[in-house]
Amino acid sequence: MPAAVLRLQSVTKRFGSVTAVDRIDLAIERGEFFTLLGPSGSGKTTMLRIIAGLEQPDEGQVLIGDRDVTALPPYARHIGMVFQNFLLFPHKTAAENIAFPLRMQRVGRAERDERLAWALKLMRLDGLADRYPNEMSGGQQQRVALARGLISRPALLLLDEPLANLDRELRSEMEVEIRRYQKDLQIPFIYVTHNQEEALTMSDRIAVMRDGAFEQVAAKTEIYTNPSTAFVAGFVGHANRFDGSLGEMAGATARFDWKGIALTVPKPRHGQPGAAAQFSIKYEDLEIARGDSGTGLAGRNSIPGTLRDIIFKGQTANYIVVLKDGSEIVVSSAPRELDLQPGETVTVHWPVDRGASYQA
Amino acid sequence: MMRASFRWTRFGMGALLFALYVFLYAPVFYVIYASFAEDIVWPFPPAFSALSYGDLFASSLYGDALWNSLLLGIGSAVLSTVLATGGAIGILRYRARWRGLALLLFLAPLFVADLLIGISTLAFNARVLDLPGNIYSAIAANAIPGTSFAFLIILSQLVRYDWAMDDAAMVFGAGPVRCFLEITLPIIWPCIFGAFLISFILAFNNLEISFYNLGAIPTLPSVAWGSLRFGLGPELFALAAIVNFAVFAIFAVMYILMRYRIVQFGYRGP
Amino acid sequence: MAGNNWIRRAHRPQWRFAFLAGPGALFVVVALLLPLLSIVVFSFWRTESYELYADWNLDNYRALLSEPAYRIFFLRSLVMAAAVALTCLVIAWPIAYFIARHGGRYRLLLVLLLAAPFFTGIILRVTGLQSLFGPIGLVNMALGVFGVAPIGVLMYTPVAAGIGLVYLYVPFMVTAIYLSLVNFNFELLEVAKINGARPWRAFIEITWPLNWIGTAIGLVLVFIPCLASAVTQRFLGGPNATSFGMSLAQQFGETGTWALGSAMGVLLFVASLLVILAMRRTIDLKRSGFTGVIGG
Repeated sequence: MPAAVLRLQSVTKRFGSVTAVDRIDLAIERGEFFTLLGPSGSGKTTMLRIIAGLEQPDEGQVLIGDRDVTALPPYARHIGMVFQNFLLFPHKTAAENIAFPLRMQRVGRAERDERLAWALKLMRLDGLADRYPNEMSGGQQQRVALARGLISRPALLLLDEPLANLDRELRSEMEVEIRRYQKDLQIPFIYVTHNQEEALTMSDRIAVMRDGAFEQVAAKTEIYTNPSTAFVAGFVGHANRFDGSLGEMAGATARFDWKGIALTVPKPRHGQPGAAAQFSIKYEDLEIARGDSGTGLAGRNSIPGTLRDIIFKGQTANYIVVLKDGSEIVVSSAPRELDLQPGETVTVHWPVDRGASYQA
Repeated sequence: MMRASFRWTRFGMGALLFALYVFLYAPVFYVIYASFAEDIVWPFPPAFSALSYGDLFASSLYGDALWNSLLLGIGSAVLSTVLATGGAIGILRYRARWRGLALLLFLAPLFVADLLIGISTLAFNARVLDLPGNIYSAIAANAIPGTSFAFLIILSQLVRYDWAMDDAAMVFGAGPVRCFLEITLPIIWPCIFGAFLISFILAFNNLEISFYNLGAIPTLPSVAWGSLRFGLGPELFALAAIVNFAVFAIFAVMYILMRYRIVQFGYRGP
Repeated sequence: MAGNNWIRRAHRPQWRFAFLAGPGALFVVVALLLPLLSIVVFSFWRTESYELYADWNLDNYRALLSEPAYRIFFLRSLVMAAAVALTCLVIAWPIAYFIARHGGRYRLLLVLLLAAPFFTGIILRVTGLQSLFGPIGLVNMALGVFGVAPIGVLMYTPVAAGIGLVYLYVPFMVTAIYLSLVNFNFELLEVAKINGARPWRAFIEITWPLNWIGTAIGLVLVFIPCLASAVTQRFLGGPNATSFGMSLAQQFGETGTWALGSAMGVLLFVASLLVILAMRRTIDLKRSGFTGVIGG
């Protein structure tokens, strides 16, 4: 079994009456890209700071390799970190910023220069070595910050929403690049973000956090296709939500009563017939049909509605459909039915094994 | 461990701060205490007496000096504030070629010692302008550092002023003067007032500049200086107590206004 | 038409700027620079019977350079100013750091409390010092009551004058450093920590350089008045502490030798300017992390 590079055991941190991190257990493997995904206030940044040594946990241990580092200050932990606002030293050149960790560890000049050259080449910063941070673009600064984090070949690299301050196009580029660096260097990355697209693009495993605890920790495909709670379902991927009640269950499915319509949905993990429940289904799992041509198909659910608007996105189109109770759902599919008019009656249909239901 | 050493450092710095306050204020508190005592040299055991103040108020010299100091203070403060306000607005709002030079000129007086300002203005007035010592040249001379201080104070608030508001006002038809009076001034008046108070206090209490420009005209600091030459006296204690109290009262008022956001002097808050 | 052109030109930024900042700038030129220029001129003249005569000569400068008294006064003031500036530096840095970092909601209050005493005027502040440390001050009287001899070093010595100058000017230094620290991003220290820097190393590598401009300004703001100081030495310094400023004041006071006094003034001004320029040279804008520009 691959050795765990980082282990958190029952780590808890409180700020006054608020528990920011609640008895978290975690093990990160070598070569893994691990993301802490959650809304603000979920405790993900606090957890990262505890791993870095910038905060002390109230309870629990932090182990790097097999060393208990819980009481160690940050400068003794041999880790790297990249921050949202880069936090490059404004009075040092890019080269000086990058070489800083090596100087602090008293690495000899020859080796320092060698590693600096390696880092500059890796991050494609050749020619920028003597520039000051305020003379570089956002993307360049972020690469310098990454180089600084990686140059001492740390046991792990912590990244605190590093792409939040970059514009969208740059962000997409950097997402791919960061994952590439991680895979090439095989250093475990622990990445914190509230942006699920980043998480899905870059990670191997994702932990969805909420109020200081993990809602679900799993491989990213698992998180996406089998969210274990309604929160995860709502947070990862774009999904529609229906509130109703459970009916009888048979095999892998259950009946779901929504506003008088009987739907067949995958059985929830917990729940009894009669219980209030939620049904969540992703935009792209739904299909839209003109008039009532989508009703009555075998193995599929269907709901009537009225089209309100079409949002064309190039490869897909989002159809906004108003249902009989006034609520709106979104159907995302290939732009086949673009000549539908707002106000037209449509049917939304999908296979009975798609989506997930949760006891409310 | 690491944490403990951080605590000690913090404690040490805090202790140093406290020690500095003691150092700065011990003379002040003692003077105030002794001013109310019968014997200013050895005011123990504490026996209340307002003799010092009686001496002070009885002296007509101090009375004249007070009047002159007030004139000097107000005159210098008005001049300083007007010049500084124009300077701050001009430098921040308009991108002109001479901006850097203007900034340099407004800040230059801070780096020239009071004594130097005093003697050079004396020499200039006496020999070049043929002016004897008079209160107007003293007002002007005090306005030199006064303008710099006022400038810094107004600048510190004005950097946060959004000039787009003026542009908006002008789009809606307000000319520059109207814009200043209706938009800018109502927002920045507190810091202009603060600058006025500060330059007033500076000129009121100034010795080395005023001394050379006033000739025989007495001001509170120059009379106090004359008195101190003969040693400590009760009127000096009383004067020190009153002036300290006045300065602190002004600062306290400014602080309360800033802290409780009644007005904005450019204090950003916690 | 012509009238319109004038109005249009008057609205251009340059004219607005000139109208607003012009008076102040002009005032400084006329009220500060002209007098300074005039004493430069007078320094080459001659005083006789309390009158200045335009006999251009170098006698004043010769006197200043050759007569030992003036050299001593100047060096004395120079050393005193340097010592006071350094003392203020050592005292002010931890205090400014504490207020900026740990002051929290009380930051403004703490700084104002430090700054307020300055505004009561030099004479009253020296009075306060004398009342505690002078020959009939509290400390010595108290010692007398207990039969202990007065502390010599606190009365009428250069040390006493030095303490007095620190008393007067340390708030300047604290304010200058504080204003710099307030704009300092303390998160950079966390970054340094993560990258292996121990606290003292982080201070030398990050905190000190990024706040050097504030420190330099503070040093200059303390050094220059101290170099010229006269009143403090006069009342606290004793017989052997005659400062350059005191001697300068004498030339414009008792002896009425304005030409010599002007030369001394020029020397003082040149020395101050040299200090400013020297400090300016130590400031490399890039190395101080300075990226801001007033007004954007």
